[in-house]
Amino acid sequence: MKKYDAIVVGAGNGGLSSACRIAKAGRKVLLIEQHNLPGGVASSFRRGRFEFETALHELAAIGTPEKRGDIYKLVNEDYGVDIKWLPIPDLFRSIHMDDDGHVIRDFTMPKGRKAFTDKMEEYAPGNREAMSKFFELFDECEKALDYIGKSGGNPDSKVLRSDYPNFLKVGAYAPMDVLKALKFTPDAIRIMGTYWSYMAVDMYRLSSIFYLMMVGSLVDGGAFIPEHTSHEMVLGLLERFHDFSGESWFNVKAEEILFEGDRACGVRTDHGTVYSDHIVWNGNPSMAMANCIPAEVIPERELKLANARKFSARMSVVYVGLNKTAQELGIKDYNIFISPGLDTADEYKRVGKMDKIRSTAALCYNIVNPKIGPEGTCQMSFTMAYSKDVWGDVDVDEYVDLKNEKAYEILRLYEKATGCTLIPYIEEIAVATPWTFCRYNMCPEGGVYGYEASEWDNCMARMMSIANDNKIKGVKFTGASGPRGDGYSESLITGSMMGGMVLGEIAREEKEGK
Amino acid sequence: MSLNIKIGMIAPLDMIKFAKMPKVREERIAATPAKPLPKTYASNAKAEIYHPRRQNVVIDAINDNVPGVKEIVLKAKDGRLAPFRAGQYISIGIRIGDVKTCRSYSISSAPELAKEGIYKIAVKEDPSGFVSPYIHKEWKVGQELTISSPEGFLYYEPLRDCRKVLALAGGIGITPFMAMAHAVASGREDCDLTVIFGARTADAIPYKNELDELAAACDKVHVVYVLSDEEKEGYEHGFISAELIKKYGGDDYSVFMCGPQAMYKFLECETAKLGLDQKHVRRELFGTIKAPWECPGYPTDSRGKTYKCTVKQCGEVYELEASADESLLAAIERAGIAAPSRCRSGECGWCRSKLKSGTVYIPEVTDGRRFSDIQYGYIHPCASFPTSDVVIDVPAEYLF
Ligand SMILES: Cc1cc2nc3c(=O)[nH]c(=O)nc-3n(C[C@H](O)[C@H](O)[C@H](O)COP(=O)(O)OP(=O)(O)OC[C@H]3O[C@@H](n4cnc5c(N)ncnc54)[C@H](O)[C@@H]3O)c2cc1C
Ligand code: FES
Repeated sequence: MKKYDAIVVGAGNGGLSSACRIAKAGRKVLLIEQHNLPGGVASSFRRGRFEFETALHELAAIGTPEKRGDIYKLVNEDYGVDIKWLPIPDLFRSIHMDDDGHVIRDFTMPKGRKAFTDKMEEYAPGNREAMSKFFELFDECEKALDYIGKSGGNPDSKVLRSDYPNFLKVGAYAPMDVLKALKFTPDAIRIMGTYWSYMAVDMYRLSSIFYLMMVGSLVDGGAFIPEHTSHEMVLGLLERFHDFSGESWFNVKAEEILFEGDRACGVRTDHGTVYSDHIVWNGNPSMAMANCIPAEVIPERELKLANARKFSARMSVVYVGLNKTAQELGIKDYNIFISPGLDTADEYKRVGKMDKIRSTAALCYNIVNPKIGPEGTCQMSFTMAYSKDVWGDVDVDEYVDLKNEKAYEILRLYEKATGCTLIPYIEEIAVATPWTFCRYNMCPEGGVYGYEASEWDNCMARMMSIANDNKIKGVKFTGASGPRGDGYSESLITGSMMGGMVLGEIAREEKEGK
Repeated sequence: MSLNIKIGMIAPLDMIKFAKMPKVREERIAATPAKPLPKTYASNAKAEIYHPRRQNVVIDAINDNVPGVKEIVLKAKDGRLAPFRAGQYISIGIRIGDVKTCRSYSISSAPELAKEGIYKIAVKEDPSGFVSPYIHKEWKVGQELTISSPEGFLYYEPLRDCRKVLALAGGIGITPFMAMAHAVASGREDCDLTVIFGARTADAIPYKNELDELAAACDKVHVVYVLSDEEKEGYEHGFISAELIKKYGGDDYSVFMCGPQAMYKFLECETAKLGLDQKHVRRELFGTIKAPWECPGYPTDSRGKTYKCTVKQCGEVYELEASADESLLAAIERAGIAAPSRCRSGECGWCRSKLKSGTVYIPEVTDGRRFSDIQYGYIHPCASFPTSDVVIDVPAEYLF
């Protein structure tokens, strides 16, 4: 009988990070993945002479050689992955278009506090003081989280109250409340809300702290992508996992977690059974509980929690390889958020229907990485997130036509917003819908962001409830469904955290002589 | 501290609100019913129909076509088969003795038939081959097979291709275009399809009657036969050439091609003469390279040599011999190991494996690897030929 110290099911960002964390500590780890590639959504694929990034728009927390960010520290330094990060010049461009296709607002925000504030002043005058307070608040929140982290999740409330009072005061609120309290003007709030789509929850229901951390760290440190797509990063992680003596099985599907009493003891796969007392599951917890974990070992609270939650953004992405350069096509921006520019709660509602597409996050990789593809070409992607399972109603025999219709709408939206012509130059096109993510990543409804991190279940509330969650004995969930929610950085850090918890349990059990 | 944020009326209450977040969360959880969770969701169920991991079919009929070609009708064991785009192929898992291998065949029937649980394929016997003679000899009506979900990218894409499509077919390479002709004729696909079909003689043209009927019934399907070994009224004579493509293409057209490797090599020169953009020239997968020594850069002193190959797969280790003249995938399969593969042309990446040590030769024409795969030493064994002893880590295969 093969027994491992830990079995990690799923080699997405969260799974890889957990696997590295545990294996690096000298424990024997088996990593199982149903696909033949590591990475989950973090991958790449070839079409003709192009290689497309599947998912990543940008990563924060890389930092500079003087001040390294958390992701650089984790991936490059701690795990030791050799990977070059390319900086994204501007933070973003955002174009708001009305329903008749007229541009109503068009703004480009740079990185750096001063540049960002100056630009804000240009587009939305009268927000200098609000901006400065915003950064002050961000600094305080960053320090507070650092303190909480260092306290091992057990902060002294007196210290919190004396040193981080504003952190405590905004902590229970949504970004909208905070921005209003800081007296941002409505125009400025629109600009500040641009990133909501990365979290897929409107500005009324997010955790203000996570929102502040995201915007603040992007403005401060800028954003990055790996030189050779996400595939490079995940291969680097897998390589290091192997260096740490980890074992990986690909094309192997975990079918059931086995239990001895109410404690996990192994995994039955379509390639045999493997044993361990510690299972880290990178798949979605609701799917796991419904299909892979016997009902009698699931505590009622875990079942209730899963029932209470909503899945987050269901993705659709159009990838195109064009046979002209970005320059020839007149494309200057790496990322453009195109949207109607409505209140984010209204936008959230709009993307809960199969309406004509009005919003997308459009990328042109060559702006950041001129060498990414063959000479004379450029490659782009257009992402659209749905707030409901609207693709679930589509007839399988009409799927391709609808996919093409949507791809056409998204490309036309971009063409209208920017005045650049793309369609005649398409050499390769691939369209991923929520079904595609169901297929490759087995995520419910094609939602790659885990659960909606909103209101009662926002990231701050999850972080503060870590000790209550993960109550199926011997099973930990890692990835976007975890306490820090969606995103590469978040899943990687959650992965490390969950790996750390497993190591803690193993050490404790060893001490207790189990 | 200058910053003093107040959101609620009384700031200290905000702090209490913060501290109570976990409690609020627990209350919310406690107030939710503990219903059993759904086993699947609408999109997941649809994706499962659209992209099944594998499909079980029964051979429903075996029909003789031209000599050396058999049409095989596959029927779902129950219900429907996955929809496909006209031009896609399936891979069929095949056991011959201890060998578990697979071969790809383009679906030649109308996409609409998938709904009724039917795919048709046509298999040409390659007398020097391993699987096709076996299929011709051994496959019987009623036999069960496991097949992949539809794969491949040789299909009409309205956002990319010209509305006029010239389909250049060589021999059994007509199969994807049969499906396309059906799709155009039924109105499923909205393009103008001209099949330019190269064959040796008029009586060696598979599917000729069916194709002629489709062309007669639909003004958007045209067919031109090009005979190399025979001159005949109503047929073009010679090979499919640049002039012929120009003649039937007019000004704006996309070229699709499917046929033997020699045809691709020939047509590459012909389409180059026409100065077409790469986006307007699309070919089917190249197929397995059987004479790597004919490819540029082959290390000639490896030819004819046999090397030791160590295969690691999901905790098992196998030792086998691998000839430099044959793909590593074939060597692995000869040893009775079920290894993943689909296109067997180096392009789809399904067989992607890690070369732990040793060296291989990879012909450039079938090197479809990702950039970082090359960096980290991954290879596609279907298109890699050993040039030293090798150790390779291979994923599992689930078609068997
Ligand atoms: C996308 C695509 C679509 C296709 N569509 C069609 C179609 O519609 N109709 C059609 O007829 N063909 C089609 N083909 C070709 C088809 O897949 C096969 O290549 C063809 O039938 C020849 O197969 P074969 O086994 O006879 O010969 P091959 O497999 O090509 O030749 C023999 C091979 O078997 C290996 N081998 C020999 N002995 C052994 C052994 N003991 N164990 C393991 N390996 C061994 C050899 O190394 C060699 O690679 C298509 C191919 C592709 C890629
Ligand atoms: S089987 Fe497609 S690349 Fe090898």
